[in-house]
Amino acid sequence: MSRIKLIGSAAAVVSSVFLAGLFLAGPAAAFTGKSVSAANCDYGGKIKSIEATAEFNVRFTLCAPDPAFTAKAAFTPFGIQPEEHLAATGGGGDILENPIGTGPWKLQKWSRGDSIIFKRFDDYWGKKPVYETLVIRWSDSGAGRLIELRSGTVDQITNPSPDDYESIQNDASLKFIPVSNPNILYLAMTNTFKPFDNVRVRQAIAMGIDRQRIVDNFFPSGSEVASHFTPCSIDNGCEGKTWYDFDPELARAILHDAGYPNGFKTKIFFRDVFRGYLPEPSIVAVEFQTQLKDNLGIEAEVVVMESGQFIDESTNGRLDGFYLLGWGADYPHVTNFLDFHFGEKNPQFGKTHPAIYEILKEASTISDKAVARPLYVKANNTIRDLVPMVPIAHGASASAALAGVKNAHFRPFGAPLFHLADPGKDTFVFMQNAEPISMYCADETDGESLSVCQQVVEPLLGYAIDSGTTEPRVATGCTGNSDATVFNCTIRKGVKFHDGSSLDANDVIASWAAGIDAKNPNHKGNTGAFEYYTYLWDNLINAE
Amino acid sequence: MLGYISRRLLMSIPVLIGILLVTFVLARLIPGDPCKAMLGEKASPAVCERFKRIHGLDQPIYVQFVVYAGQIVQGDFGKSIRFSRPVSKILIERLPLTIELALGGLIVALIVGVGLGVISAMRHNTGVDVITMIAANIGISMPVFWLGLMLAYAFALLLKGTPFWLPPSGRLTAGLVSTPFFEVWGWIAAKDSAREAFYNFIANHFIFNALITGDWKIFNDAIRHMILPVITLSTIPMAIIARMTRSSLLEVMGRDYVRTARAKGAGEPRVMTRHALRNALLPVVTIVGLQMGGLLGGAVLTETVFGLAGVGRMLFEAITARDYPIIQAFTVVIAVFYMLINLVVDLSYGYLDPRIRIE
Amino acid sequence: MIGTSLKRSAEAFAELQDEETLLRSPTTLWKTALGRLFRRKTGIVGMILVGFMLFLAIAAPLIAPHDPLNVLIGKEDGVRKRSAPCIHMFGCDTAKPQHILGVDGNVRDLLSRIIYGARVSLSIGFTTVAFAVTFGVILGAIAGYWGGWIDNIIMRVMDVILGFPSLLLAIAIVAVLGPGIRNALLAIAIVTLPAYARVMRASVLTIKELDYIAASKVVGSSKLRILLLRVLPNALTPIVVLSTLGIAGAILDAAGLSFLGLGAQPPTPEWGSMLGSERNQVFSAPHLVFFPGFAIMITVLGFNLLGDGMRDALDPRLND
Repeated sequence: MSRIKLIGSAAAVVSSVFLAGLFLAGPAAAFTGKSVSAANCDYGGKIKSIEATAEFNVRFTLCAPDPAFTAKAAFTPFGIQPEEHLAATGGGGDILENPIGTGPWKLQKWSRGDSIIFKRFDDYWGKKPVYETLVIRWSDSGAGRLIELRSGTVDQITNPSPDDYESIQNDASLKFIPVSNPNILYLAMTNTFKPFDNVRVRQAIAMGIDRQRIVDNFFPSGSEVASHFTPCSIDNGCEGKTWYDFDPELARAILHDAGYPNGFKTKIFFRDVFRGYLPEPSIVAVEFQTQLKDNLGIEAEVVVMESGQFIDESTNGRLDGFYLLGWGADYPHVTNFLDFHFGEKNPQFGKTHPAIYEILKEASTISDKAVARPLYVKANNTIRDLVPMVPIAHGASASAALAGVKNAHFRPFGAPLFHLADPGKDTFVFMQNAEPISMYCADETDGESLSVCQQVVEPLLGYAIDSGTTEPRVATGCTGNSDATVFNCTIRKGVKFHDGSSLDANDVIASWAAGIDAKNPNHKGNTGAFEYYTYLWDNLINAE
Repeated sequence: MLGYISRRLLMSIPVLIGILLVTFVLARLIPGDPCKAMLGEKASPAVCERFKRIHGLDQPIYVQFVVYAGQIVQGDFGKSIRFSRPVSKILIERLPLTIELALGGLIVALIVGVGLGVISAMRHNTGVDVITMIAANIGISMPVFWLGLMLAYAFALLLKGTPFWLPPSGRLTAGLVSTPFFEVWGWIAAKDSAREAFYNFIANHFIFNALITGDWKIFNDAIRHMILPVITLSTIPMAIIARMTRSSLLEVMGRDYVRTARAKGAGEPRVMTRHALRNALLPVVTIVGLQMGGLLGGAVLTETVFGLAGVGRMLFEAITARDYPIIQAFTVVIAVFYMLINLVVDLSYGYLDPRIRIE
Repeated sequence: MIGTSLKRSAEAFAELQDEETLLRSPTTLWKTALGRLFRRKTGIVGMILVGFMLFLAIAAPLIAPHDPLNVLIGKEDGVRKRSAPCIHMFGCDTAKPQHILGVDGNVRDLLSRIIYGARVSLSIGFTTVAFAVTFGVILGAIAGYWGGWIDNIIMRVMDVILGFPSLLLAIAIVAVLGPGIRNALLAIAIVTLPAYARVMRASVLTIKELDYIAASKVVGSSKLRILLLRVLPNALTPIVVLSTLGIAGAILDAAGLSFLGLGAQPPTPEWGSMLGSERNQVFSAPHLVFFPGFAIMITVLGFNLLGDGMRDALDPRLND
């Protein structure tokens, strides 16, 4: 009798342990997390591995500290699509015009050349749009976009022409929305060409431009003279001494001492392309020509170059003369401005300066902004002393909407979050500058593609509606360790894709791997360049 | 006749090859490359090296040409570098709009131009003649982009709220979609087949498509969006047709058979229509045909001002973006159209004017 | 562009020149033609417009109130960029500086830039056409005279040029050579010269037909003499008509290229580039878009009317 009792209780214990184990292990099959990793950190990139440590957890391990990690991970190219969709399309071809995401909008139809139509996604995890249809259209002239807005065929536009700002502000039927995307316009010099190899010449030029006059006359209201290269809205951007004051007598004296009492002949190159940092290129170029002549006696011939060629020549440091270029922020961190331009490998200003890049290298590994501050003070002061270029202005731009649109906005980082606006009717029409190139933003760089992708595909994090602060998207948060080398992102549960499937950590791995790993079978895209993966993480894994 | 046609076609082949070669070389002579053009200030040398290898642009030029020629012979226009889509698909999307625009422009130009030409010929060398000729000439004297902007301003802004309002850009009102006829009628074509391409090509002529499916809402909407661009585009051929009609009519009116008809007592209107106009319109017909060819490729400025996604504008963007496959394919297609139209015009001239026969 | 149909009608014109026309004394032809031109109203209007523009171009330094390149920031008070026209006579406050057509984006007087722009546009028109006519005539004459495979090759090359949409070919050529007035001129000249080549060739072919007829008719005078003194000058009349119309076309094409940013470069005052750089200001500063466009229009109109008038005057069929 006691033996039966013993066996019986043993069986009871065993089966309860077994059942308990089954219960604790969860329903269905156990989750196998996937991962992508580099063999070692010699490949020159920042990412060592990305692993799905659990069904709703992803861990990023970095080769070197990167305090800007969360700022970068919120950027649109790192959007998440279902791993089945990536595998089915091979990461190319069909996915370029049929993205599947978790966003508030799903793609209904892309009429090439004309418009893109989105429908509300009723299973969105966040705040659903109150209206049903979002239409994106485009026109390449500011005047054209404003006509459409005024005639009521569209609800919001990007970049009206600066001369129209006043009339929009005075028009009760329209709403003027200032846009504060941080940017910088600079007058560049390549120090491998004479006389720009002489730092005194560069300093003279730094003092010889009346930058206030340029901003007052040729930039839209809200623009500012640049006190530093990086706009002050970026942390640690404005540390250190402010730029030289305009002092033409001193400038001429320095130029005289440097051996050019009567100035010299040179050229000023630019491309006639509208940018937030340079809304009217040819007019500003002529203004520079006038100022260089009047203030310093420098005769600069204005030379327009075609855009592709201009970028090629200027970014490779081949232009013998001044050139006008600028930069718009991709992610809200000082490294996006300083490290890109004054880093060791950038040839655009000629020979790079160790005095600058060594400091920047060190500062980019420090995650505490307060600790990094003195380094950025030193970096900015050195830039001021060595004058690789003259920072001119931070250009303001604007958007405009019909007055009846509630919560019409334009974020400083990223495109508007249309699902938070309310046009008071069933359809919202947005008009931007140009047609997107494709809707697979892992492999695109043009703002027009990025602004459209964002409505459909979401990354782990995103940018807030009114600042560069990162906020949760499909991840509820990403926490880094103390030296910013490991980041753990917790994935939100219950998020659905537009095709009905559920989001889990493997989708995150598949999406990131398709971009960061050159040997991944889904690494195809559109250009094949995966530019933002390459430049934000310093290199692709397994790149040839 | 058949011999003439085959001789003409045979002679066009070296010209087409020449055009293809020139386009190929010219496109690659433009400084810069597609990578820098696409990635802009964010491009880096490492990225562009990889890019070139993927698209076969690191091969020597003659190798690239041989590869391309091989593709063309098999009917493959290649893939756009910028969009990674087959160029033929892009062509099928873009060409119908330009055809609609060009046809519309020609029809308007014909009606107005012939009218002006007849009036000014009948009132030869009077004030009316001068005024109508100046009006016609303004058409070819005015920068097309200027006219487009002024028209858009007038009709979209000044006339807002009136029944005369016209939309300033686009092809259809936002949110409206043209349902292709083969979907309405239930015709199926295999995916990526030639038949599907053909169906899509026809369906992309929105006005025609709406007409045959009876979709009057889309028909009206599409026509309203076309009015301003068509007027803008028609000013140039209108002026040429007006001048041609006038001079041709003047010449014919001085001819013997017209004098004879008058002497026989026929009234002026009868003389005009039965005798003079029919003969005078012969050269006009040839002009009309030639204008069509020119309009296909030359509408780039109108398409830009009115935000229409046509062939000319795509070609201009492709030149800027160094998208070689699009540049090559679009140019060749336009050239082929142009040549075919030339051939038809020459044949019809011989048919219409018995005095000028092709030997 | 207009080249193709002008080519066609001019060709027809050339082909209809018969023996009688070609053997006429050129001086009498021109004398009667000039007389007829003056009697044609459209021709007169054309001459007036062209004359006015020529006057502006030549007398620019004397009539323009400012230097067209002179930026007025800091030199004048009360003038902001893109200010509307201020004419004291029409009531504009005398404290503000007078700018009859207003002020442009770089704060320069628009009237002066338009007046000096006449120089630029007219010289573009004349230079392009001169270049295109010279090379076109030479090529056409060679092709027509030698015939055979030379004729074939030259005409096929012309066909290749004509097979491209002309504005786009010009854009491509400028893209290769780089933006700038000189390259734009070259591009337009290349794209338009086939018209002249064809017309010249047609004339030369007709002359060749007459070779033996004329020879048999003429007793005592050398063939060559007749060819050079009578026939050739007469064969050039369609070229003259075509050139006048060609100047109009060249000015428009250059404006189009400059509008796209490929022609005249800042700070040169060229009407097309003035239009192009201000096109986004069409509602806030319409004077900057209207006046350059208007200047282009009346200049081109003038040349077109003049060319029409000349064709009417010189066409033997209309005047017998």
